[in-house]
Amino acid sequence: MTETLLKVEDLRTYFSTEEGVVRAVDGISFELAPGERRGIVGESGSGKSVTAMSIMRLIEPPAGEIVTGTIEFRGENLLMLGDDEMQKIRGSKIAMIFQDPMTALNPVYTIGDQLMETIILHQGVSAAQARDLAIQALEDVQIPNPEGKLSEYPHQFSGGMRQRVMIAMGLSCNPDLLIADEPTTALDVTTQAQIMNLMLKLAAERDTAVLLITHDLGVVAGFCDTVQVMYAGGIVEFGTADEVFHNPQHPYTWGLLGSMTRLDEVHKKRLHSIAGAPPSVIDLPIGCRFKPRCEFAIDKCGKVLPMLQDVEGGSQRVACHRAEELDLKTFTVTDDEHEEVAS
Amino acid sequence: MLAYIIRRLVYGVITLLALSMIVFSLLQMTGGGPLDRLKLNPRMGPYIDTLTELWGLDQPAWRQYLTWLKNYTTPETIALQNVLPVIAIGAAIGLTVLMAKFMKSQWQGLLVVGVWVLALWIAISNTTIKFNWGTSFSGAGDVWNLVFSRAGATFRLGLTALTLALIIGVPLGIYQAVRQYSFFDQLGTVGAFFAFSTPIFIIGIGLQIVLALYLERWTGVKIFYVTGMNSPGYSDLSAIGKLVDTVQHLVLPAVSIALISLAGYARFQRSSMLEVLHSDYLRTAKAKGLPRRKVIVKHALRNAMIPVVTLVSLDLAFMIGGAIITESIFGWPGIGRLYILAITTIDYPLVMAIVMVIGMGLVLMNIIADILYGVLDPRVRYD
Ligand SMILES: Nc1ncnc2c1ncn2[C@@H]1O[C@H](COP(=O)(O)OP(=O)(O)O)[C@@H](O)[C@H]1O
Ligand SMILES: [Mg+2]
Repeated sequence: MTETLLKVEDLRTYFSTEEGVVRAVDGISFELAPGERRGIVGESGSGKSVTAMSIMRLIEPPAGEIVTGTIEFRGENLLMLGDDEMQKIRGSKIAMIFQDPMTALNPVYTIGDQLMETIILHQGVSAAQARDLAIQALEDVQIPNPEGKLSEYPHQFSGGMRQRVMIAMGLSCNPDLLIADEPTTALDVTTQAQIMNLMLKLAAERDTAVLLITHDLGVVAGFCDTVQVMYAGGIVEFGTADEVFHNPQHPYTWGLLGSMTRLDEVHKKRLHSIAGAPPSVIDLPIGCRFKPRCEFAIDKCGKVLPMLQDVEGGSQRVACHRAEELDLKTFTVTDDEHEEVAS
Repeated sequence: MLAYIIRRLVYGVITLLALSMIVFSLLQMTGGGPLDRLKLNPRMGPYIDTLTELWGLDQPAWRQYLTWLKNYTTPETIALQNVLPVIAIGAAIGLTVLMAKFMKSQWQGLLVVGVWVLALWIAISNTTIKFNWGTSFSGAGDVWNLVFSRAGATFRLGLTALTLALIIGVPLGIYQAVRQYSFFDQLGTVGAFFAFSTPIFIIGIGLQIVLALYLERWTGVKIFYVTGMNSPGYSDLSAIGKLVDTVQHLVLPAVSIALISLAGYARFQRSSMLEVLHSDYLRTAKAKGLPRRKVIVKHALRNAMIPVVTLVSLDLAFMIGGAIITESIFGWPGIGRLYILAITTIDYPLVMAIVMVIGMGLVLMNIIADILYGVLDPRVRYD
């Protein structure tokens, strides 16, 4: 990687709740190059959304707080910026699209009003120019009759259409980074692919880097350059999509891949799922957080927290004590072998 | 929109009919009659029969009701002083139809309400109209004149109280939500709890003692009056003097009525605002890079006020109850005091007239509130 757009280092975001301190993101570090498409995968509760919200600095005190770490964006630590400087970055340099398009738009303002608001805010253009830009933005996301749609309200739009509006809004100021937090999860399957394709195509046209949070590994395999796997507030594996999918190094990644349906393999292999539930991020186990659910755990796993280490050859990194000795690839081939391991 | 308003008016008439039947039946069931007090006086003997016949009390109840209904809805005199009423109502109908057809803006509702309030005001002030609401059984005079000589006073008191409750309660709740758990928020919560759990007559009398009696004793100046609507020498005062005198009389009774509602509005507004503050679209607004002020003022306020409109329209009836009690405490010459008098003397025509006037007011206010709802919330559809 030559140039870095975003560099997150040892980020820790905690929430204080009545049950105790929730270590939602607990010491993650990663870098993102300009124009790169990064997938972030992991079970729900693993800290994906909190990572995104931390980058946007939308974690609301007093409940949540970024305890330590740096988030460098174009060499500037976002965590050191004043509120008004951060506001200039939000929506213009870093934009975000959320999971549920049904509730993400303000019900009492028109689509045009909400789109133009962003454009006027960041581009300092007149209302008339903003209107033209808004029409253009709606056209880009392939909304029919964009001019007429400006005066309509969100409730007059379907879920897919609203998510298109959110994408239009996110990309309207040509951001350097687009964070999409499960943008298609709430949509029906046929729309999902359309929206995902559209979003990534538009991002590519604008050279916008994408942080795509999803639990759809198929999407990551199809659309992302690189992928990072999160588990219980930490990153357990990182690599190019190819590397991670064809040669998973972490038992958790391997488990996730195993629980994925692939049409061509349905007959060959039984789906398996990862036994147990993710640990509570309030009292995390000492040592590897995945240990209680790991089929390959050894004594050391319960004592020492594994750090992300380079895997020899390639760009892959993994946080597992046994990564070197295990060759997980071979376990995924057939059902028999999987059972062999399990017994 | 048009069909909606007409339908609501029809429902309103049905509601009022039902109300009149219920109240009429309740009056029949009280066990006493309007003549009972007279019967205590032996010298009234010969009059009793005359009055019974004159007031139709010897008729079966259903006939009494029908007679009342017929008289109540028949104008005794109706005359236009000029053509303005016709023009105003005609214009209002025309404008409503045009707006319903061609206007797409959410402000439509507000305009329709505004046009009609103005038109009706012009129409009524240029018409001589009087309905045959009968004569008070207790000798207080003609019911129509009686009610309308008192209605203005109650309207003044009620409107002031409602305005106070709204302009203090709503911003208070919003501020509390924005500064959740701050000292001010906690103070507001405790204060609202006290106001809400204190009966209105304690509030009224308490205000009289503290803000009138003690304050006057302490400062030596009369700041608030505890009885009446104006001082005896009111007509001799200058314009400013009149205004000051009016305010001095109005504040304490209006605050007594407003306080409980105000506490309710603040609580309700606070929770509604908190919900909006945690909503997804507010997160979107922040993610856009809008400054916090704009996020709250533009994106949160309007949404947070939508549920409060419903609360206010429900609360009006409660406020009228409060006004009736407060008018007695503060010697306010309004409909409330008249109502208590009417009930204690079982004065059929007067009780019915007052209940129906209050009923009509509430029905109208509810329709207006429901129309205004659509101004705040574009999702509301009038069909
Ligand atoms: N506002 C909050 N208050 C308390 N806990 C929170 C809050 N937001 C997130 N969390 C906790 O942080 C953890 C990670 O959440 P999140 O990042 O939303 O997971 P996901 O990977 O599904 O997006 C979860 O255990 C969640 O309960
Ligand atoms: Mg999430």
